[in-house]
Amino acid sequence: MEKFTKAFPSKPLKTTAGKPWALAGVVGSGNLEVLVERGGRPSDAMECHIETSIPGYKASWLAALADFAHHYPAGGTKVTINDQGAPPVLVTLRLRQAYDHLVKGSK
Amino acid sequence: MRTAETGARRRNKMERLERVGRLARGKFVAAKDVPAVLKRIIEPGDILCLEGDNQKQADFLANALASLDKKDLRDIHLVMSCITLPAHIELFKKGMIRQVDFCYAGPQGTAVADLVKARKFPVGAIHTYNELFGRFYVDLTPRVALVAATQADRKGNLYLEANTEDTPAVIEPTAFSDGIVFAQVNKIVDRLPRIDIPADQVDFVVEAPYPMHLQALFTRDPAAITEVQVLMAMVALRGIYEKYEVQSLNHGVGFNTAAIELLLPTYGERLGLKGKICKHWVVNPLPTMIPAIESGWVESVFAFGGEVGMERYTAARSDVFFTGRDGGFHSNRPMGQLAGLYGIDMFIGASLQIDINGNSSTVSTSRITGFGGAPNMGCQPTGRRHPTKAWLKAGAEANPGPGSSPGRKLVVQMVETFQAGRVPTFVEELDAAEPSIRKALHGVTPVMIYGDDVTHIVTEEGIANLAACRSVAERQAAIRAVAGYTPVGLKRNKRQTAELRARGIVQLPEDVGVRPSEASRSLLATQDIKGLVRWSKGLYDPPAQFVDW
Repeated sequence: MEKFTKAFPSKPLKTTAGKPWALAGVVGSGNLEVLVERGGRPSDAMECHIETSIPGYKASWLAALADFAHHYPAGGTKVTINDQGAPPVLVTLRLRQAYDHLVKGSK
Repeated sequence: MRTAETGARRRNKMERLERVGRLARGKFVAAKDVPAVLKRIIEPGDILCLEGDNQKQADFLANALASLDKKDLRDIHLVMSCITLPAHIELFKKGMIRQVDFCYAGPQGTAVADLVKARKFPVGAIHTYNELFGRFYVDLTPRVALVAATQADRKGNLYLEANTEDTPAVIEPTAFSDGIVFAQVNKIVDRLPRIDIPADQVDFVVEAPYPMHLQALFTRDPAAITEVQVLMAMVALRGIYEKYEVQSLNHGVGFNTAAIELLLPTYGERLGLKGKICKHWVVNPLPTMIPAIESGWVESVFAFGGEVGMERYTAARSDVFFTGRDGGFHSNRPMGQLAGLYGIDMFIGASLQIDINGNSSTVSTSRITGFGGAPNMGCQPTGRRHPTKAWLKAGAEANPGPGSSPGRKLVVQMVETFQAGRVPTFVEELDAAEPSIRKALHGVTPVMIYGDDVTHIVTEEGIANLAACRSVAERQAAIRAVAGYTPVGLKRNKRQTAELRARGIVQLPEDVGVRPSEASRSLLATQDIKGLVRWSKGLYDPPAQFVDW
């Protein structure tokens, strides 16, 4: 088990419409749950809370989250991740799914 | 001074046949006499071909061969497509083999690596299929070929059913050079459904006590396709299939391409691509293609081999598949490889490792597999002259020089950035470049597909268009850009990635119009094997290991 928190600089979220929060994935073996919520502070940072069952990959997590915050305007969001040993390739997909749902309000 | 003798080889064949004497009645050998016959027809120093590829195996003859002692069988130069069976490994353990030339060692990859370590694997070279078949006519012509067929008639004509595969490529050079062809068959019958090999190319036939081994190699259960694979399939469809209007293609055997096949009737249809892409296929009868075929996407399929369970389906869809006058499915590996080399717009497949220059390999110190056919399709055939839209478009992007071809085949590597167990797919240097492996292979690194041949790499991060890169450094940067969070990917430079993205050399999913939130298994035309049976209207008979109902 490993837990860490970090905020990444990111342009503010473009829309205020849409859902107040969005969830992607499930906490199950080899999977992870990503919760993205509006109303985080400040509005030019993406605040991340990660809890993972597999320690030792902090550098990869931070790199993936930093890239995401750089590519997408996600400032003012709070991202909570519960990871149960998801393969690395699934992490970015779940993040994008949750973000898409939040911004476009689908699902 | 040695002078050319006339007919020495033919006389030698006659001597061998005479040694067999009454152990055969005409061409026919009883199963119990097979080891004794093999002893009499094989001589030390022979080039011996044992038929077996990644699908069908002359396994009864292989087992009989492995039951012999070194005093009866030694100094053999073994040539074969695939080292697949425990019996094949036994020949090396017994020290019978002087040299081996082969293509692939899938299931025995670990055993082969162990033999290399023990210095019991005197390999000439690892080949691609057509390369080895070609050498059968040059410097590796078999003296004796042990082959497998479904049926023989009383004259010794052979019927190969759905699994023609390598058989004609093995028999022809042997039979036309005074070699001996010995076939094991599942059954001897009075009348064959069709004749695939004429009797006068066959010297001996045995009805084996058990049917030949047939591997269901190309069956992928849709239930095991992940959302990440669906996302990659969507990205590939939009960023490559749609962009280049790919008409003719080969798919590898992985789940990535199975996902694409299952997206055609759903996502592909929604994009309006039906009738515009994926019409002509050079591929085995993949069960996951059934929904696309049933939806009218596919005009033709030519295959290297058969696939267990697809016999009734392929026979019923004779407008799409090649079939004989008996109505049954027909395949041919060398012709399929030739078609895949020259005739198609695109090859798309997966790999275990890709290095920073785009070279890929499935070989490591603990597992030596080899090539099979992928490099015949995953390469730029410099002998190609006919243009297609995709070929010209990819060629234009590659900015050909005054002395090069105007077109390029699309050679696409589709991989997740990590394999199972968090093993990175992208590496600075291939495991295959290990000095001990290079030494065993006479200084050659066993590269499956060379980086220079690859036009695109697709990962869950996006597409890297390697053909459009203008320098080695740029190509390395493009590969790092899609290598995700592997050590190779973490070394990417943000500014350089942004520059490559601005030039369209690196494309993220959204750059090709794919919304990751849409990447759902529910997009697949079916979610399981049972669904494939339903799509086939009950004509597909999945092998037992895939049936859970």
